[in-house]
Order: sequence, then structure tokens, then C-alpha cells
Amino acid sequence: MKPPMKNLNLFFLLLLVLGLHLSPVLSWKKEEFRNCNQTPFCKHARARKPGFCSLIARDVSISNGDLTAKLVPKTPHHEQDPDQIKPLILALSAYQDGILRLRIDEDPSLGPPKKRFEVPDVIVPEFSSKKLWLQRVSTATINGDAGPSSIVYLSDGYEAVLRHDPFEVYVREKSNGNRVISLNSHGLFDFEQLRAKSEGEDWEERFRTHTDTRPYGPQSISFDVSFYGADFVYGIPEHASSHALKPTRGPGLEDSEPYRLFNLDVFEYIHDSPFGIYGSIPFMISHGKSRGTSGFFWLNAAEMQIDVMATGWADAESGIALPSEKSRIDTLWMSEAGIVDAFFFMGPGPKDVVKQYTSVTGMPAMPQLFATAYHQCRWNYRDEEDVEHVDSKFDEHNIPYDVLWLDIEHADGKRYFTWDRTLFPHPEKMQGKLAAKGRHMVTIVDPHIKRDDSYHVHKEATQKGYYVKDASGSDFDGWCWPGSSSYPDILSPEIRSWWADRFSFENYVGSTPSLYIWNDMNEPSVFNGPELTMPRDALHYGGIEHRELHNAYGYYFHMATADGLVKRGDGKDRPFVLSRALFAGSQRHGAVWTGDNSAEWDHLRVSVPMILTLGLTGISFSGADVGGFFGNPEPELLVRWYQLGAYYPFFRGHAHHDTKRREPWLFGERNTELIRDAIHVRYTLLPYFYTLFREANSSGVPVIRPLWMEFPSEEATFSNDEAFMVGNSIMVQGIYTERAKHASVYLPGKQSWYDLRSGTAYKGGMTHKLAVSEDSIPAFQRAGTIISRKDRFRRSSTQMVNDPYTLVIALNSSQEAEGELYVDDGKSFEFEHGAYIHRRFVFSGGKLTSVNLATTSPGKSQFSSESVVERIVLLGHAPGPKSALIEPTNQKVSIELGPLWLQWGRGSAVVTIRKPGVRIGDEWTIKIL
Amino acid sequence: MKLNMGFGLISLVMCLFFVRSPVAVRSVSASPHPPLKDPFIGIAPEDEKYYKTSSDFIKCKDGSKKFSKAQLNDDFCDCPDGTDEPGTSACPAGKFYCRNAGHAPLFLYSSRVNDGICDCCDGSDEYDGKVKCPITCWEAGKVARDKLKKKIATYQEGVALRQQEVEQAKLGLAKDEADLSRLKAEEKILKGLVQQLKERKEEIEKAEEKERLQKEKEEKERKEAEEKANEEENKAEQEDNPDKTAAVENTDSEEIPTESMQDDEIGLLEDSSSYQDVAKDNDEPTAEVEHSDTSGSEGSLVNEVEQPAAEAKEESAVLPDSGSKGNDVSENTEGLSKEELGRLVASRWTGETTAKQTEEVDATKDNEHEEHEELPRGTHGEESDGYASETDNDSERYDDDNDDVEDDVDEDFRDEDHDDPSSSYKSDSEIESDLSDMTIPSNPSWLEKIQKTVQNILRAVNLFQAPVNQSEAANVRKEYDESSAKLSKIESRISSLSQKLKHDFGPEKEFYSFYGRCFEGKENKYVYKVCPYKQASQEEGHTTTRLGRWDKFEDSYRVMVFSNGDKCWNGPDRSLKVKLRCGLKNEVADVDEPSRCEYVALLSTPALCLEEKLQELQHKLDLMNKEQPQSHDEL
Repeated sequence: MKPPMKNLNLFFLLLLVLGLHLSPVLSWKKEEFRNCNQTPFCKHARARKPGFCSLIARDVSISNGDLTAKLVPKTPHHEQDPDQIKPLILALSAYQDGILRLRIDEDPSLGPPKKRFEVPDVIVPEFSSKKLWLQRVSTATINGDAGPSSIVYLSDGYEAVLRHDPFEVYVREKSNGNRVISLNSHGLFDFEQLRAKSEGEDWEERFRTHTDTRPYGPQSISFDVSFYGADFVYGIPEHASSHALKPTRGPGLEDSEPYRLFNLDVFEYIHDSPFGIYGSIPFMISHGKSRGTSGFFWLNAAEMQIDVMATGWADAESGIALPSEKSRIDTLWMSEAGIVDAFFFMGPGPKDVVKQYTSVTGMPAMPQLFATAYHQCRWNYRDEEDVEHVDSKFDEHNIPYDVLWLDIEHADGKRYFTWDRTLFPHPEKMQGKLAAKGRHMVTIVDPHIKRDDSYHVHKEATQKGYYVKDASGSDFDGWCWPGSSSYPDILSPEIRSWWADRFSFENYVGSTPSLYIWNDMNEPSVFNGPELTMPRDALHYGGIEHRELHNAYGYYFHMATADGLVKRGDGKDRPFVLSRALFAGSQRHGAVWTGDNSAEWDHLRVSVPMILTLGLTGISFSGADVGGFFGNPEPELLVRWYQLGAYYPFFRGHAHHDTKRREPWLFGERNTELIRDAIHVRYTLLPYFYTLFREANSSGVPVIRPLWMEFPSEEATFSNDEAFMVGNSIMVQGIYTERAKHASVYLPGKQSWYDLRSGTAYKGGMTHKLAVSEDSIPAFQRAGTIISRKDRFRRSSTQMVNDPYTLVIALNSSQEAEGELYVDDGKSFEFEHGAYIHRRFVFSGGKLTSVNLATTSPGKSQFSSESVVERIVLLGHAPGPKSALIEPTNQKVSIELGPLWLQWGRGSAVVTIRKPGVRIGDEWTIKIL
Repeated sequence: MKLNMGFGLISLVMCLFFVRSPVAVRSVSASPHPPLKDPFIGIAPEDEKYYKTSSDFIKCKDGSKKFSKAQLNDDFCDCPDGTDEPGTSACPAGKFYCRNAGHAPLFLYSSRVNDGICDCCDGSDEYDGKVKCPITCWEAGKVARDKLKKKIATYQEGVALRQQEVEQAKLGLAKDEADLSRLKAEEKILKGLVQQLKERKEEIEKAEEKERLQKEKEEKERKEAEEKANEEENKAEQEDNPDKTAAVENTDSEEIPTESMQDDEIGLLEDSSSYQDVAKDNDEPTAEVEHSDTSGSEGSLVNEVEQPAAEAKEESAVLPDSGSKGNDVSENTEGLSKEELGRLVASRWTGETTAKQTEEVDATKDNEHEEHEELPRGTHGEESDGYASETDNDSERYDDDNDDVEDDVDEDFRDEDHDDPSSSYKSDSEIESDLSDMTIPSNPSWLEKIQKTVQNILRAVNLFQAPVNQSEAANVRKEYDESSAKLSKIESRISSLSQKLKHDFGPEKEFYSFYGRCFEGKENKYVYKVCPYKQASQEEGHTTTRLGRWDKFEDSYRVMVFSNGDKCWNGPDRSLKVKLRCGLKNEVADVDEPSRCEYVALLSTPALCLEEKLQELQHKLDLMNKEQPQSHDEL
């Protein structure tokens, strides 16, 4: 027992801290959401002491290329419920590239009351082909153990170990026996098996006014996972919290909630909290200086709660001194339902782990070029006149944008796929006008379907029985924007296909090929449901309970919508769908954003760790609402947000309908200029961004990255989430305070960094105190890299296609640099068949060479570009040379001193190769004479 | 309008292609692929001299460096300011000039050059051969010229109208000022008279009081005498009393002048059914305006205003409560049906009353509906509090009773129907006639008359003695009441006139006639009422929402700003910006709410028809006419 006084003091302290913290954001209705103590499975799992688990592994063998075993209680005649002592089936599978999969489920041959839910359509089909068929299992007693362990060899020098008694699974390095990741090392594993209800037992759970019938009773799973050689753990989005996950349990953290993964529509979420918001990805990454990176992914779509243990937690809780490694991080994973289907990723580098994870859940989709540019949104652009006005104002102020968005008010009474014809009498014409300027439109389509018999979508869904059912079997009826609504049962492939067909040009009247889609409210949001979502006992296709798939509902919805756009374009047009809810694998279907944030500096600040974490867990195409959704940003905050947002992978300005208008030109000439500059920076860097999107698409490595991903051995970067890398070449540091005059910027690595704007060089590996102006936020190009830019400002990215390139070569200390450029048609899937340009530019020995990276083979489609290089800028090159020689044309071009950026003119003069004129897709070299 | 024009344009272009295809083809081939045939493309004629220099080098206009002739329009940016690339997209700061013969010349951002979108009607911005731009200058120019001609015609007429306004404003202002100084003189005299009358009245009252006391005493004494029968002691006491009472009276009147003012007002009210006057005043805006700012009127009128104000306070006290009901569902969701819960939660995001979420307001929702409906009313009342005390009491018309508003509107409409039937009327149309009622300017000797009467009365009662002559005393009282009523009217008139004259009527007083007028426009189900120098409101049926109180002119008298209107739930206080355009009538149009609760409207008015602007337009037309290509005459 702890001394109560101390506890009380702590409680007050916490209250005080929380109180101070929450004061500006009273709108968050904490009490509407369940905390761990109000959630029986979480409460129970958290209450268990280390060493609780009594299961041992028996009947270990190799079958079907897997290592299989049965998990049974050590003492067969335990006083436990007889149902709980049925053996569980365990299977370990090995995959290429350092992946171990662990599955634990009930034994189907023993006739459980119901098959437990396995999340379908998340693991990509290709993954199965990477399976390594295990041939041999060896048995040994590993040092210190009382009993034997079964060992199988994985790839790349790793072994998977199944210790029999007590049961434990871990991966270790074969060479030195060092552990990488382990499961159940603290004996917290528990698996509630489905069983018959015993007399008088009450399975119902009540929360506020809602009752969950829980017809199948308790079925939760929990276990501990340990990461070795770890300094920090990251991942498990989506939370508005720091990038490096703070401990939630251990000495001094008695009142902390675990990280909750439960997709929720949270009104005015707060910026530093482990509470669940719109999305859930049960994937955690650990990183440490000594070992490197590893990852753990549990494919499970039920509510999950995850504790990150502080050092010394076990001693504090059990009194048993467990072998406590300083660089080990223990975590506790708890889920309400489902099975154990877990993946161990061995790394060892940060990018390796992300690649391993995306080889399971899929690579991020390749977006269309336009989608990587700037988006203008507001709830709501009210009518066609408004649309035309906003569009023309962008032109008037010479600010490029690519997409104009329409929120819920555009539809007729929130009946999606329809138009409010008094406001939007000519939707096709309106889209046509935008399209004539190379611009696109996005309309919102949410999953709540208005229960209105005259609404064709509702009529059809009702007739076909396509809605999610409530516990009693009737169509679930919940309240959302249109009022009484029902929700398509998007878990079913048949219903997904039907949903996809809603997007055909015939079905979606008023849509044109330049129209794309936004899925909001797909957690799903149900205003009058428990915790503002669907009741857990609602029923899906195949008798699946909503509790089992809740976190994936939005994922399937996103998937079906994206499929619809692919179908609409005959498979030739890449879809663009923005989703708010997300799950593991959402990266395959489109972009996501961080939901309804607020116009506060703290929300600007937290957007960076949120986006970094999403990127780390596969979702490279994400962003936060620039300006903040709720509230009115001060012009300075808005400007800073644009300056930061210009580097978000997904760059969209958005605002609530109660806010003042905040289009870029509404805050005086100076602010207009600053915002224009920020947006121009993004457009200028589009070739670089597009190349990064392709990198993400082919490797899973995100577009923006935490510093430690590029500098994994520099401890100073591990918990830095104020700065981030855009690709491997640009580092950006946000400015998160008002009237900032200075910023402390840590520049990692041994090489120097060139200020992106001025070209000034700064030493790496140290913190610089830099003066900050309103002009821009600190951003740097890393020495040794080459960035491709397009410096001509157009109305939208569409008009930039044939524009010439500027190459910015930032030389390192050995006067070398390299970088890549990827180009394709920006629209179609032809790139998948080889229709693209992919070059590597290498500068070495005073010579720039363009190397082809595209794999060419006969019969592949081709892509060519007329674009030439108009200018090459050399940062870190001594002035002097007057000309350069281009091969193979044997042409001489002049070298002069010129500006680094044309729009900011005079500043510093940098060595510039004038008009080399080489085509971007060709083989050439340029030698400085 | 624009759409139709566009269509017309396209069909015209098609015709052009058909009839004159050789021309079109020629022009496309005239500027085919880069490198440019015309090294001077994109340069404005007035600028050509700068570039067609004999020297080999040309300076960047910002003086930063120079470039060779070969570098002019060579699609590489050498000058940060874009001097060297007027005809390409190479410099971000560059500007491209298209001549647009037949239409107006145009400067484009360099980013528009060869971007695949035709911006110039002569197609000169797209010369890289990727797109073929139809040449539409003649047609577009004709449309533009016709439009311009129409605009000029409007301006010509408008300028004249404006001139009339300006002259009338001068007269009006001169008259106002004359009135004001006359009123001030009258006030001065009347004040003296009233003071004299007051003194006399007080003397009479004193005398009467004395008489009464005397009588009482006599009565008493008589009674006593009846008992004691002692007459002589009484006589001695009779001589002591008058001085004492007089002294007390004097100090009283000096110490509490306000009180006596109030007394005066009460007198005014009681006299000649003045209560009806007040009631009438409520119907007649002029009277109210005048009353409100006279200090003397406070006693009578403020009482009336205070009542709604107090109500408003009560309502506003309720406000946070009902507000939190909308916002804070958590506290009291327990008793709600699922549907109500859904509505309430939705309202967090929308800030709307939950009942408005859908049209299907059913009976169970009524309670809730009412709760939310209270909000605007509550805030309304709260506002009216400040409004009434600050400016004038006719806020009642807007805030207190909607029926009144309707009546007013009707009446006002009737008054001005003949004048400007569609959109404008004088809400305060009675200012002039009212003034004449009160001050009788048609009979300049009224003051003298009063003076004379007063003198006579004063003289008549001068030698008063006990017992007081009752008919003379009544005369004094009546005269005093009438005079002070007149004085207070004059004072309020002075106050309202000086208020009026404080306003900014524009550099040439061209907005003078806006004072006291309202302009209306209909937009969907709403009627928007813009009353310059006063306020603006939105009316839907019987519901009036104030969009703002008069704030100021902005943007060199091109915008009228009304701010601090009714509060928006979850939004800013309502406000309205009225953009002014030259037009022949004062008409409100295009009311819009681009941001929540921030309205904009257009008001066309002759006041904006400026002579200089007219000349500018004419000059523009001259230029356009000059640029007409000869070849098109045959069309």
C-alpha cells in the first residue's frame, strides 16, 4: 500500500497541472469518453501483476512451414473457469527481410462459441509470397532458464525463440544472443476465451446512457512487449502528443491513462493527451543508439490500450526485482477482442523497420501531382459565386492553388452525391471552369446516409440490406449531420463494391473527372452514440460485432471510396481521397489529416509530431489543417502555419464555418506576401516532393521524417519533434511562438547545412541560435545533396509540367553531392509499367552526371519530358569558373554569380550555371571548366 | 450576367473563326515557337524606348545589374525585377504586356506566359505553339466598350445627380446651421423667461403655501379662539413667518436644480396630454431623436427605455445558462432521447440551434428549440441597453416590439412611396415638419409673443399679494409649463441637430441626404435595411436582426461600415460593410455573408458618381476606340 497522503498530494498536483493545462480548451468533453478504469478489460489488464500468466507451450512442432505449439495452463486442474483452460493455438511464421509473425487464437477444433475476428484486407496479398518455410526447429535450454526453448532461424542473422515454461516469445541476434523484441517476458499475457454465459452472470456494460449488451461476453487479450536496446518508443498513432512516447505507467505516473487506440470524433481535442482520436495504428517502433530500430505491429481492430512503462515499473508493482535492463522499454498491450496476429520487425535501421512494416500493410499510394500541391478548403464555400470569387482572388494575388474543396453544405440536405441546386445549380460547369485553369475540386462524402426514402442512396442501401445493423438486427439508426442516418456495412466486399459504384459519373450526378473525394466522419461519428460513435454491439456482415472492427471501419470506407474513383476512371486515373479515420494500411488508399485542430500555437506545434508519427507508421501523405480548424488565428499564427504547412506532405488550409474568412489575401499586403511566399516555396519544391512521394511509394519511407530517421546514431535527435526532415535533404524547424526573434536549431550530422533561403552555410552537429524574421521559418539544405526545383510560378501545378528545372547542388566538405528526381505523367498508373523518368544526379570531381535509375525493359511504357534544366546553382563552390562543358553535345555554357532564389532577388550571389538546357530525361554530364 | 456574356463571346468567336479563319491562322503562325521572333514581346509601347536603345547593354530597372540585348527575352531571368524578361515566364517578378488591339491592353503576371491558358484576347501570351488562342479582342472589346459606354452614361447622369445632392446638401447644411444658431438664441431667451416664470411661479407657490398655512393656522386659531377667544397674539405671529419660509425655499432651489428640472418635465408630461406626445414620439422618429439627448427628457423618457433594458438584463443573466446548454451537453444528456442527444452534439460543431439542423422539427424538440431561440433575443436585449442610452431611444422600435417595427416600416413606406418606391425611404422624414410644429418658424414673432405674454403676466402678478389671485396664478403656471415644454423641445432639437452636424457627410457633403434615410434590398427571404449614420438590419418576417450600428466610412468613402451588431452564437458580433457604387438610384443589392456573421452589401448611389472617375472612363473609352483594328470594320 502506498501512503495515502503522498497519493493525495500527487493527485492535487496533477489536478493543478491538468487544470492549468486545460483551461483554454474547456470544450473537450473528457467525461464523454471512457477512461481505462471505466473500461473493464483495460482496468483488469492493468491490475495484473508481473508473472500472472501461467501458460506454458506444449506440442511444439513445425507444420506448414510454421513453428506451432499449444498454450496450456501449467497446472491443469487450476481453479479457473474450465473454458479458460482450453489450449490456445500458437503459430510463429518467418518472412523475408527480418519479419516474424506470431498468431495465437482459440483452437477451432474445440468448438468455440464463435470464430474470433481476424482483420481482413489489411495485409497485402504479396506479403504471403515472402513467407519463409521453416524446416527445422532446434531445442535448447538458454542460459538461466529452467526449461527448454524452441529456436528457429529467421533471415538476416536473427532467431526466433519460443520458451516453453513460462511461455515467452522473442527474437534475438544469432551471433551474440542479444534480444531484440520479446513478448510475455513479464508474464502479463492473458487471453479471455469465448464461453457460455453462466447462470446469473451479467455481461452488459453501461457507460453514461448507453448499454452495451455484450452478447459474447469478455474476450479481451493483453500481453507485454519489450524492446531491447531502446532509448525511446514511437508510433501507435493517432494521438495529439509528443513524437517520442512518454511513459504512462510507473513510479510517479499513477494517474496517467494508457495510449488509447479507438477511433473517435473528438470535439476540440487537446494538444497533449494519450486519449484516442480519429485513427488507430497498433504499430510501435523502438529506437536506441546501441541496437538501432525495431518494431511491433498487432493487427487488431478492436479498442486497444497501450501502456509505455517507465523504468522501474515492475519493481514498483511486484516487488520482484526482474532483470532490469536500462535500455529496455516495456509496454503493455490490451485489446477488447480479436486474436493475436502480431509482427516483429527486426530493423535494424529506422528505414528498414518502415519498409518491413509497409511490406505487410502496403506501400503508400502514389498521389497525383496536383494532390501534392496546395489545397484551399473551408466549411463552407457556399455557392458557385463564392467558388468563382475565391478562385479568381488567387489569380488576382498571384497565389497558386490546385484544389478547391466543398464541405457538407454543398449537398442537398447532407445527402451526399447530390447538390444543393439553389447554391450549386451548375456543378459540372463550375468544375469545368476550375479545370480550365488546371485546377481540381474535392467534395465531401461521409458514411452517414440520411434516412430519407426519397434519397436514392438510402433507398437502395435499405432495399439491399447494406446497412450496419443494431444489436436487435434492424438497420442501425444514428444521428449525424443529416439527422437520422444509417451507415453502409463497408466491411463486406460486396457492399464496398456497391459503394464504389456510387462514384461513377452516372451515379454521382454533377461530378466530372476533375472531382475527387473527401471522407470525413468515418470513425464513424454518431452524435448520439456511446462516445460519439457506433455502439459496440452493432452488427456487421457475417455476424461480426462492431467492437471487433471498430478501428478499421473508416479504413474500409476510405478503401471503398478510393476504389470507386479508380473504377470511375477505368483504372487509369489515380484516386485522391482524404480520410479522417485511419488504420494500419490506410496509406494504400490516400491521404489523411489530423482532424479538427484549433487555431492555437500549441496545435501548430503538435502537428509536427502527429504527422511524423503517421509517416513512421506508413501514412506518409498527411497534414494538419493550416490555420487551425476551430477559432480565428492571429495573422502571425496563420503565416507561421503556412510557412510550416508548406512542408506538410498534405498541404491544405481549412476553417470552421464560425470562423472569419482567412483566405491568404485577407490580412493585409504584407501577410499576403508572406503567405504567397510560403505557398510558392511549396510549388517550387514540388519536383522534390513528388520524388519523395515516389520514394515512399516504393519503399514506405515517409516524405517527412523525424531527424533520427536520417541521423539514427545521434542521440540529440531522438526526441526532437520541433524539427523534421523533408526527405533526406531538407531540414525544417517550425516557429511555434509569437513574435519569435530567435530560434535554437540543432543541425544534425557532420556535414554543414545551407540556409534554404540565403544559402548561408552552418556547421552540423551543433545547436545554433539563429535570428528569426517573419519572412520564413528556418529551413536548410543538407550539404551533399541535390534538390530539383521549378522556379516559375504558375496558377497551379498543372501549368508547371513543362517548366524548366533548377538544380540546387549543396556541396559537402569533399565537394560532392547527389540527389534524385522522379517524374511521371502525374496522373495515371502508367508509372507502374515503367512510364517514368528517374534520375540520380551525382556531382563529383567538378562534374555533374545524370544517371538513369529507371529499370528499362522492352515492352514497358515510356514517359518522356520536354523539360530542360535552366539553371544549376552550386552552394559551397568557390567562385571563379566562367564556363562549363556539356557532354555529349559538347556545348559550352557560361557560369556566373546569381541569386539563389529569383523572387528574393539580390541577397547572396551563388555560383550559377546559366542555361545548360539539358533535357531532364537525357544522359548528360556537365563539367565545370 | 457574366455567364451569358461568356456564351455570347464564344459563339461570336466561332463565327469569327468561320468567317475570318485566314486571319486567325495567320496570327497564330505569326508567333510560333520559341525562340521568339519578336524580341520585344511583352513590352508596353510606353516602355519600348527603354529597350530599343543603341547601347549593347540594358540596365535592370532596379539598377541591380545590366544585361545584353541577347539576354532580352531569352527565357532566363537575369534581373531580379524581371526587366530582361518582359515576354517570358522566366522572372517571377515580371509583367507581360498584351496590346489587345480592339480591346483594352493588359499587364499579366509573367507566370501566365505560355502556361497553356489564354489570358490575352489577342492570344499573345501563348506563343509557344502548345495552345491556339482565338483572337477575341474585337468582340470582347465591343462588349467591353458597350459596357463602358453604359457605365459612362450612368456616370454622366450620376454626376449631375450628385451635383444636385451636393448643392442641396450645402443648402440643407446651411439651413441646419442657421436653425441651430436661431434655436440657440431662442433657447437663451426662453431659458430666461422660463427662469423668470419659474421664480414667479415659486413665489406664487410660496405665497399660496403661506396662505394655506395661514388659513390652516387661522382655522386652528379660530378653533382655539372659539375656545380661548384671544385675537391679539395671533396678529404678532403673522408678521414673522413669511421670511423664514422664503429663506428655506431659496436654498432648496439652488441646491437641487436637477430635481426642479425633473419637476419641469413631469409638468410637461402632465400638461396638454403630453403622455400621448411621447407615445406619438415613438412613432415619429424625429421626436424621439430630439428627446433622447436632452438632459431634461431623462426623467420622462428614460423610464420607458429602462424597462426593456431591465428585461434585457434579466435575459442576459439567463444567457450563460442557456448557452451552456447548447455547448455543454455532457451535464444533462441523461434525460434526452437519442435524437435529442444527436442534435445537441451536432450543434457543437455547427453552433446552430439544434432544431435548425433539420426541417423536421417535431413537438418533442420544442422546449429545446425555445431555449436556443432565447439566445438571440437575450443578446439583442443586452445590446439595446447600451444602444438606447448611448444614442437614441428609438432602439425600441428595433429591439422591443416587433409590431412597432412593422408599423414604422409601413408608415415610412407610405411617406416616401412617391419618392423612391423601390428601395429607399426616409425613416425620419418628419424632421422638418416636426420642427415647424414645435418652433413655428412660419411665424417668426412667436417668441416675441411669448415674451410679451410673459412680461404681461409677470407685470400683472408683480404686485401680487395675499390672498393670491387664482386666475393670475393659473396664468403663470400655464405659461411656465408651456414655455418649459417649448424649451425642452428646443433643447432636444438643438441636441439632435448638433448630433447630426457632427457626422461625416463626405468631402463634398455628398452623403448629407443619407442622414435619416434607410435603403432596402431583398435577398432571398430576407429584407436588408441600411440606415446610414444609424444602423443596418436584416428582417425576416417579424424577426429583426441588427447587423450593425453605424461606424464609419472606409476606403475613401467607398465603404460604409456598420459594426457591433447582434451577437452571433459561436461567431463574432455581426457586422456589415456596404460597398458604394455609382448608380442613379440609391439601391441596396447583393447582400452576402462571406464569413459567418460578416455581411457585405452593395449600395448604388449617385453620391459615388465622381467627375474624375467619369473622365477616367471616358479616357479609357477613347483609348479603346483608338485601338480598334481597321481590318475589323467590315465585320
